[in-house]
Amino acid sequence: MSKQIHLWAFLQGIGFFPTGWRHPRARPEGVFSMEYYARVAKMAEDACFDAIVFGDQLQSRGAGGRTPGRLAMPTLDPVSLLMAMAAVTERVGLVATVSTTYNTPEMLAERFAAMDRISGGRAGWNIVTTAHPDTAPNFGEAELPPKDQRYRNAVDVVAKACELWAAMDRAGPALPQGRPVLVQAGQSPEGRDFAARTAEAIFCPAANIEAGIDFRNDMRHRIAGVGGNPDGVRVMPGLSCVLGGTEEEARTNHAAILDMGDVPLAIEYLSESLCCDLTAYDPDAAIPVDDILAKTLLPPADVAKSVRPAAEKGTPLGDFAANFMRHPRGHNVFIGTGEQMAEMMIEWRDSGACDGFTLQPSYMPGGLEDFAEQVVPVLQKRGRLRTEYPGTTLRETLGLPARLKVEA
Amino acid sequence: MTRSFIVSACVTDADLAVPELARPVIAAAEAAGLDLLMLGRAGARPFDAQVLAAWAAPLTSRTAIVATVPASNAHPFHVARALSAVDFLADGRTGWSVIAEDAEPGAAADMVRAARALWDGWGADTLVIDKESGVYLNPDQVVRPNYRGPFFDTAGPVNAMRPLQGQPVLVLDEAAPIGIDDADVVLVDAPDAAAESARRLLKIAPGAEVDSAALAASFDTGEIDGVHFMLTESAAALPAAIAAIGALLADRPGTVPAITGTLRERLGLALPQTASTQAKGAFVPEYVA
Ligand SMILES: Cc1cc2nc3c(=O)[nH]c(=O)nc-3n(C[C@H](O)[C@H](O)[C@H](O)COP(=O)(O)O)c2cc1C
Repeated sequence: MSKQIHLWAFLQGIGFFPTGWRHPRARPEGVFSMEYYARVAKMAEDACFDAIVFGDQLQSRGAGGRTPGRLAMPTLDPVSLLMAMAAVTERVGLVATVSTTYNTPEMLAERFAAMDRISGGRAGWNIVTTAHPDTAPNFGEAELPPKDQRYRNAVDVVAKACELWAAMDRAGPALPQGRPVLVQAGQSPEGRDFAARTAEAIFCPAANIEAGIDFRNDMRHRIAGVGGNPDGVRVMPGLSCVLGGTEEEARTNHAAILDMGDVPLAIEYLSESLCCDLTAYDPDAAIPVDDILAKTLLPPADVAKSVRPAAEKGTPLGDFAANFMRHPRGHNVFIGTGEQMAEMMIEWRDSGACDGFTLQPSYMPGGLEDFAEQVVPVLQKRGRLRTEYPGTTLRETLGLPARLKVEA
Repeated sequence: MTRSFIVSACVTDADLAVPELARPVIAAAEAAGLDLLMLGRAGARPFDAQVLAAWAAPLTSRTAIVATVPASNAHPFHVARALSAVDFLADGRTGWSVIAEDAEPGAAADMVRAARALWDGWGADTLVIDKESGVYLNPDQVVRPNYRGPFFDTAGPVNAMRPLQGQPVLVLDEAAPIGIDDADVVLVDAPDAAAESARRLLKIAPGAEVDSAALAASFDTGEIDGVHFMLTESAAALPAAIAAIGALLADRPGTVPAITGTLRERLGLALPQTASTQAKGAFVPEYVA
């Protein structure tokens, strides 16, 4: 049988592009409405996606204490959104991003046990350690713990949560999957090692097929190195897209999305990304590198790497911000027809660049709708995407054992 | 003025976390005309009620789900986020009941105050969502609460919107005080004239006989605003127990609470006095598919 492609819908807020909420087919008001979530959940289930994933942050968007006025926000609690979706679907998996740094193992275990039970075994946990410095004061702390400490803590938190699940499963009612599916997206050496020891599915950015192959090989190597089975882990790089009936139409559609961005939006987006409020600076003047490095809450060396090259070329702040906004987060953005996209996905899968994709729709719900209408049927016709779910639990959907044996 | 008579019940069986058992219970509550269905109670919180409340949101159109929230094993930042989401999903029909569980004295009150402060960090008219001008929200309506309490410090703003009701309806049990004296709904052990503005629901112990005439008399004198049944049946037996409540109250005194509008509106409850003293819940531009 030809290699199957796994598909996850990564939904957070109103889509991949910061400008996406202004698209005529975007429905930003929907993120506050049950009707919208029911529509999106059914769309993903009809297209046989493995799972819906909600990313999450534990701080409000903004920089330097200023709330942006042009970015789509806030994002609501992913666990609640997914559980409401559970009530109106039957098969699609439901994966919530939850932090190990700002939850106790007891909180996590209780929450995911309830999620797995009430969804009939469809719960997954995208384990994050929380990297944004604005989060700490929301939990009474001055600063985030350093990354190595966060990952050491994550190992302990996950181990303890697993013990608690085993006990809850024995006490009943049974946990349909034994425990939720564990998902991770580490990039650093610490993060990759943690993923290798823990995860059953892994997200990553991969801008091109070579990056995908390198990452997947590296992860398979690490998984084998700690005695795991590389075939028991799904590697799922992020993928966004803008489609059209012809290549040219797709390019026009992409340009239209980018053109919805104006300089004030771009500067708010850049401010957020650099953790430094730049809204009071003149967009036509030079990038205020020294101020940025003095004020940012991120490691200044990382920030310097992203701003220095443009500053040295004399790029004005507004132009830099506008360009920055055109390439969100280093993911692969496919622009073309549905047929071409399916072709690309099959090529990635067959070359060992991934086990499937974490689709990040360009705007919502239109971007997901386009993918479901223009790409899903092609993949299904080629025998690369299921037309029905193999079982009921998320583990079965991923081609893993339905239920993990719970240790006595 | 005609007052409405409020009917409430709490359920505690851990098996309600199983969807096949929970669905008939939710359906029975809707059919019986329950105004509130509380998941857990002080001293009996068998599952994560915030998860169940979210799951139940699309399954209800009248009954408001009240989630019991422990002051231990929870943080106000997470609680404020979850209940904000649930309140939108349930069209403004969300209640919460903070219980001490194993927390130290004072932690539950601190939880209530912290979550209220976080919700109040978002003004009622924050959202604009105008594609044409590119204005998504009005930043002047967002403030950082910088809440500092004896147990919880949380700066905010919380990554969640002000709830549709402004604040979900807070339900507290008089017999398990947590140090908050401005709850919206109070569960009481005996009818009693009270000055507070809360709605008072008389607790009916498991299996107790209900004297409809006495209830009507207490309601007419204003000593109570309704009843709260403490159900201890197993999940499988709950639908029948809830249907029996419905039959019993077919001729309840007063009027039946309206079935449209947010829970707060239906019960005629003002928002609690908080630092920002805003009179309204969040405005959200209409979603049109
Ligand atoms: C596709 C993808 C989605 C992610 N989603 C989230 C998220 O929702 N919340 C979060 O805090 N981190 C998220 N992350 C960040 C990762 O958890 C991780 O911190 C990041 O990839 C950097 O790796 P490191 O922690 O090893 O440095 C995501 C990463 C990727 C690649």
